[in-house]
Amino acid sequence: MYQRKYEVFFIVDPDLPDSDLKSLETRLKEVVNREGGSVLSYNSWGKKKLAYPVKKRTRGHYFLMEFVGGSGLPQELERNLKIDERVLRFITVKLDDRYEPGKDESTQVPPPPSFDDASTEEKSSSDSSEMTEQEEQEQGQENE
Amino acid sequence: MAITKTILKKKRRFFKHRKACRFCTDSSLKIDYKDANLLQHFLTERAKIVPRRITGNCAKHQRELTVAIKRARQMALLPYTTVAPI
Repeated sequence: MYQRKYEVFFIVDPDLPDSDLKSLETRLKEVVNREGGSVLSYNSWGKKKLAYPVKKRTRGHYFLMEFVGGSGLPQELERNLKIDERVLRFITVKLDDRYEPGKDESTQVPPPPSFDDASTEEKSSSDSSEMTEQEEQEQGQENE
Repeated sequence: MAITKTILKKKRRFFKHRKACRFCTDSSLKIDYKDANLLQHFLTERAKIVPRRITGNCAKHQRELTVAIKRARQMALLPYTTVAPI
């Protein structure tokens, strides 16, 4: 039976005190360990403005956890995330069907928290407007 | 009139060159649903997914891209629509 590699990306209430974040972290790690898996990394991605309100909140604190475990583990973990009211939203993605320790040490380095800056968002929005101009031109051609 | 129009059309077709897929030409560029800044390039102002014929992406990468955009929308990294729902 091979172990699989998963990641779970979730949004936590941004106004929580550090003690609550800590208790959430230990609780999730506990679930993974209880089900026979192991946590590879647990990182905060920082607070970010949400694209649309989730549970009446306009900001969210993003977290990413990578872990290894059997096929039943994500189900159990998601059940726990659903129960927890501090978690606004989550998504679990399978990264690898067969996890072999030591195979991908280089890719295991977690990416740095990429959020907490609004300036990068401004930049990309101007690019998207260019795209739509092109689109209009193209559509005009088709109509002729 | 009709003849000149068809000629114009032909000429334009002639100058139309195929754009290369961004993800095929640059292998360091990974499609990741957590990378909202990259995915934003493939959305219109109304937050619709830009079709392949505009962006020039290959079929494989466009497929990956749509999945990534939809995941990013679930996680409130990208909007479903820009018209405020409130």
